[in-house]
Amino acid sequence: MLQFARDYLPLYFQGTLVAIGVTLLSMMLSVAIGLLAALGRLSGSHAARSIVSAYVALFRGIPPLVLLYVVYFGLPSWAEQMGIQPLAAFLAPLNNRVFSAVVAFGVNSGAYSTEIIRSAIAAIPHEQMEAAQSLGMSYWLAMRRIIVPQAARVAFPPLGNEFIAVLKGTSLASVIGVTELMRDAQLVAAATFQNLMAYSLAGVYYVALVIMLQSAVTWIEGRLSPAHK
Amino acid sequence: MPFTYLRRENARAAGAALPAGERRHASPGPEPPVLELIGVGKTFGKTTPLAALADVSLRVSRGESVAIVGPSGSGKTTLLRCINFLVPYDTGRILVNGRLIGYREHRGRLVPDTEQRVNDIRKRIGMVFQRFNLFPHRTVLGNLLEGPLYVLKVPRPQAVERAKAALERVGLTDKIDAYPAQLSGGQQQRVAIARALCMEPELMLFDEVTSALDPELVGEVLAVIRRLAQQGMTMVIVTHEMAFARDVADRVVFMEAGRVVVDHRTAEFFARPATPRIEAFLSRFAVPGGAG
Ligand SMILES: Nc1ncnc2c1ncn2[C@@H]1O[C@H](COP(=O)(O)OP(=O)(O)OP(=O)(O)O)[C@@H](O)[C@H]1O
Ligand SMILES: [Mg+2]
Repeated sequence: MLQFARDYLPLYFQGTLVAIGVTLLSMMLSVAIGLLAALGRLSGSHAARSIVSAYVALFRGIPPLVLLYVVYFGLPSWAEQMGIQPLAAFLAPLNNRVFSAVVAFGVNSGAYSTEIIRSAIAAIPHEQMEAAQSLGMSYWLAMRRIIVPQAARVAFPPLGNEFIAVLKGTSLASVIGVTELMRDAQLVAAATFQNLMAYSLAGVYYVALVIMLQSAVTWIEGRLSPAHK
Repeated sequence: MPFTYLRRENARAAGAALPAGERRHASPGPEPPVLELIGVGKTFGKTTPLAALADVSLRVSRGESVAIVGPSGSGKTTLLRCINFLVPYDTGRILVNGRLIGYREHRGRLVPDTEQRVNDIRKRIGMVFQRFNLFPHRTVLGNLLEGPLYVLKVPRPQAVERAKAALERVGLTDKIDAYPAQLSGGQQQRVAIARALCMEPELMLFDEVTSALDPELVGEVLAVIRRLAQQGMTMVIVTHEMAFARDVADRVVFMEAGRVVVDHRTAEFFARPATPRIEAFLSRFAVPGGAG
């Protein structure tokens, strides 16, 4: 077992790095979408609210694996069949496996981030907005300077959980051939026929990653709190 | 106290040439009053409408401090919040330094004004809330810098100077790097006053700023407001502290059910309660000589 782990350390390690990279990029996309969508949903605009509601309903409902297939196998080839040049050029980057994975996971997780960030903003007492406005701040300035920074602290722990969910979800990217941890485990299993060993080892790596991530989240949370009542 | 006294005499002198009934509507000079409300009304709720304010008129001249008192639910908070348009009033007009807030005239009708123009007026009005409403994620200095830096666009060094000067006025220089949660209620409220002062407002609004405080912390906050009055700040003070109103205010406005019942000079208000209702109200506060 140990020997096995040692032999394949470089390969699994590389897969781990890819998994972390895909997770980070997906989460950046997810939080960016989540922030914009949450602000849109809380804004007075009817159109923005409907679009965001539709987005959340759709992407919370669609399984990430299905979305991954649609994005990677579906979209670029569809654009080519349609024969619309600009569209094809726009969707061409999706031929890249990693890029596709990041888009699919980011857009999927963005639906959850939207809800997390929306409820974090809603948790900030309305008096904070009024105090800011009484200083002459506009709604958006108050959002940027006063509300969102406070909401970020509220949203941080649940976003940490979402981060973990996305990390584990990156194992799905193996099906489109992204050589992350799970894909490496598949390759090792195929080469050695030691299925149990190969996949369990991947599991150990995931567990270790999640534990490290969780401690990082807890640590940062602790750093954020003393300034906050 | 001697200062307020002096100012009160001055205000009286300025209005002396006018008939007694007109006096409170007299402007001391060519400049418009800092605050003028003309027939302001506000109704909450559509299904069961409730008139929180009805036909409220009020003038506050530069340097005056006006106390607003009255039973709970009489519309005092709503009045203050209408003045800086945190609550949009539905009838009448509110003018700050002669400028209509919240609406502008368009073809003879009042239409809602742009957010930017409302903010332009808001930044000249300081508001202090019952529950402080400091920004918990910023230090005291950070709280004081938000307005000057991001609203007034004052360069940072000057903004810091302002913040320090304001902290000195409320006696909290040593707390500049503390977070709100590390301060007592009284200290938080003084920071809130300093935060408003940093905007160099022409008008300050206080909404029962001591009623969320432990009794032993009330004094330090009232002392700060008293000093502001002495320095000639124009203020509208909603309060349940009758002794304080009597000490600091030039005029006392008594509200009931959304209406201004009386608007009298402070001495007169306490010496000769205008209605039995006010007399009963004052007796509850046991102001020495007030109800008797
Ligand atoms: N946002 C609101 N929605 C509905 N009704 C409101 C709202 N704000 C105030 N009211 C009602 O308007 C009336 C006046 O309220 P307001 O808070 O101005 O009274 P107040 O004189 O400040 O009372 P207190 O001394 O208790 O603070 C009350 O009947 C209150 O219930
Ligand atoms: Mg009130």
